[in-house]
Amino acid sequence: MHKTYSNKAVITTLVLPGVLTFVFAILAPICLSVYYGFTDYSGLGAYQFVGIDNYKELFKDSGFWLSVRNSLLLAAGFICIQHPLAILTAVILDRMQGKAEGFFRCVYFLPNVISVAVIAYLWKFIYDPNFGLLNNIIKMFGGEGTTNWLGTGTAIWSVLIVLVWHGFGWGMLIYYTGIKNIDPVLYEAASIDGADNKQIFFRITLPLMKPVIQINVTLAIISALKQMETVYLLTNGGPGNETQFLANYLYKQAFQSFRYGYGNAISVIFVLICICATGLLNIVFPKEKEA
Amino acid sequence: MKKKLLSMLLAAGMVVSLTACGGSADTADGGQQAAPAADSAAEETPAAEDGGAAASGEAVTIKVFSNLPDRTSGQGLVEQTLFDDYMKENPNVTIEVEALDDEAYKTKFKAYASGSQMPDLVNVWGQPGFLDEVMEAGLLAELNMDDYADYNFLPGSLDGFSQNGKLYGLSRNTDVMCFYYNQKIFEDNGWEVPKTYEELLELGEKVRAAGLQPVSMFGGDKWSLYIYIHDLEEQLDGSGVMAKTNDAIRNHDFSDPTFKQAADLFVESVDRGLFQNGFESNDGGTAKNLFTNGQAAMYYTGSWEMSMVTDQDIPDEIRENIRVFLMPVPEGGKGDATTITAWHGGGYAVTESAANKEEAIKLLNYMFRPEGWTRIAWENGVCMSAQNFGDFATGSETEVQKQLMQLVADATDLSGTPLGDLGSSEFKTICEDKSQELAAGKITADDYLKALEAVGQ
Repeated sequence: MHKTYSNKAVITTLVLPGVLTFVFAILAPICLSVYYGFTDYSGLGAYQFVGIDNYKELFKDSGFWLSVRNSLLLAAGFICIQHPLAILTAVILDRMQGKAEGFFRCVYFLPNVISVAVIAYLWKFIYDPNFGLLNNIIKMFGGEGTTNWLGTGTAIWSVLIVLVWHGFGWGMLIYYTGIKNIDPVLYEAASIDGADNKQIFFRITLPLMKPVIQINVTLAIISALKQMETVYLLTNGGPGNETQFLANYLYKQAFQSFRYGYGNAISVIFVLICICATGLLNIVFPKEKEA
Repeated sequence: MKKKLLSMLLAAGMVVSLTACGGSADTADGGQQAAPAADSAAEETPAAEDGGAAASGEAVTIKVFSNLPDRTSGQGLVEQTLFDDYMKENPNVTIEVEALDDEAYKTKFKAYASGSQMPDLVNVWGQPGFLDEVMEAGLLAELNMDDYADYNFLPGSLDGFSQNGKLYGLSRNTDVMCFYYNQKIFEDNGWEVPKTYEELLELGEKVRAAGLQPVSMFGGDKWSLYIYIHDLEEQLDGSGVMAKTNDAIRNHDFSDPTFKQAADLFVESVDRGLFQNGFESNDGGTAKNLFTNGQAAMYYTGSWEMSMVTDQDIPDEIRENIRVFLMPVPEGGKGDATTITAWHGGGYAVTESAANKEEAIKLLNYMFRPEGWTRIAWENGVCMSAQNFGDFATGSETEVQKQLMQLVADATDLSGTPLGDLGSSEFKTICEDKSQELAAGKITADDYLKALEAVGQ
């Protein structure tokens, strides 16, 4: 057996499918993106090299910066609102025990099971200024209830709420699993020593959850940068570019304006932002010393 | 050493897989959109070859790429009916349909266009923003102009499908922009159809005071907004605003007063509450629902919605009372009742790389013989074709059909392709965004025109 695994031909055959998939499905498209980023290709016909013109334009493009800002805002929303709430919910769920625990776990995870298209339309109806649920509730409490929630000024916050709400279940589930993996003996020992709930949470639960938090925050930032489908269906970046996000803006430039070259330039910057984010996370969460 | 190498490999893998999330986002989403529609298209593919065994000729499969995913009603049904009939008459022919919604369609069209083999028969839009590039790239097969001499195409309806005197496609519809209104609501409240734009604005205020939404509009699908502005320009100018707009786009100069007046009027209409609350973000379905549920008195859209009248899902007391009127002329405008905002948009073309070019052209010609598309579409109240549909008037048309037929028959001046579709795709997206920002009050009319001038400069 050991002999087989040290045979170079065997190793090559085993590794090759993965390497080939990686090269052709990931590496080659990225290289092509970089290449097209220097052209004025429209997706059809001939194209010319335009040097760094696309990048120059990009840095002056208010739509692009707005979408970068919104993507970062979303990442901040995930980290500052969604995740603290998810941790708290996970802790409370863990304490509930019994049937209630299973029930609420399901309820909180439910939005993740529903298709994005359904979610987008659901919220479109909730936010509708004329017959929407939200305005009707406001009217019930004596308010005017005529706000257009997806209109100018409020749209970005309305979209953020949907995204934070929709991703909540995943975060919570991962934290919940993390908490379940903490040895109950530690809690027992702490209570015997006279620790109260707050102390247990901050001194035991949170420190032991660190690796889970690290994974969750990384996932949150990636999903914030990648955000596309919900926004596309909910507002398609409107009004104007007010709720534009990076991935959606890229799509719009490449496939609606048919500025394929420019779209590729955006995707190159997008990749760089992702790499920076990864680097930053590695600094924020320094590697644990190996035991 | 080994461990170091392994961790380096893993790290490299992580960075690249992360970046792949970004780099491939565009293609992945295109694929996602395409998938569900493609599934439905597969279901719709007719169970052909009933008479396959008795086929006279060689077995032929024609691949059709369509932007009409709903094959059971409206234009999709007309198209499918024609395909089914054709297959019945030509048992050796199988027609395979792949259908996607407009946006997904355009994306996949681009993907097909950059490959070597395109479907045989495709949908195209006879508008410069879409078709010019496609014709220039030599992707479409030239059609023989003489074949269509007795097809009764309306004057000018094939212009958008031609380049340098060569014909590359056939037009499917005549699209007229109009206000649908609920006659009963009007009569019950003593309102009259406005004759001037000022009367329309006043009517809007009265409707609002009566607790209804005046005009329902779908600004969320941004293109309807620039069409509204284009409609105003047409009524202000009175002599066909298309040439003027073409010049403005080419010369990056929107200083002609018509453009400013129209944009100002639009802003005034928004400020005076002519449109429903949140119209700038409502989509087509929502806007239509407001009207068909009786919550809005009027609905601004195109003649393609005339099948509302025969739609059984709409309450009888509403659909039976639907009537239309055209954009009223603003004060000082040179337009009149015969100036209409209308164009010939969607249509079909055969691709140059088609596997069965000759067969596809035969199918296309079969579809557009006068008793084909035109008759079926008109008799079912689906739409007005780009051919002389008046020939098939039976007298049993719906009121809306009769009204629209009359309006087109009386028209002396058609606006032609609307503002946003006259330039490049980039012009269209910017025109859409800026029209929406104008509607939302984020920019002024001057900013709007400046933004249009700046495209491609």
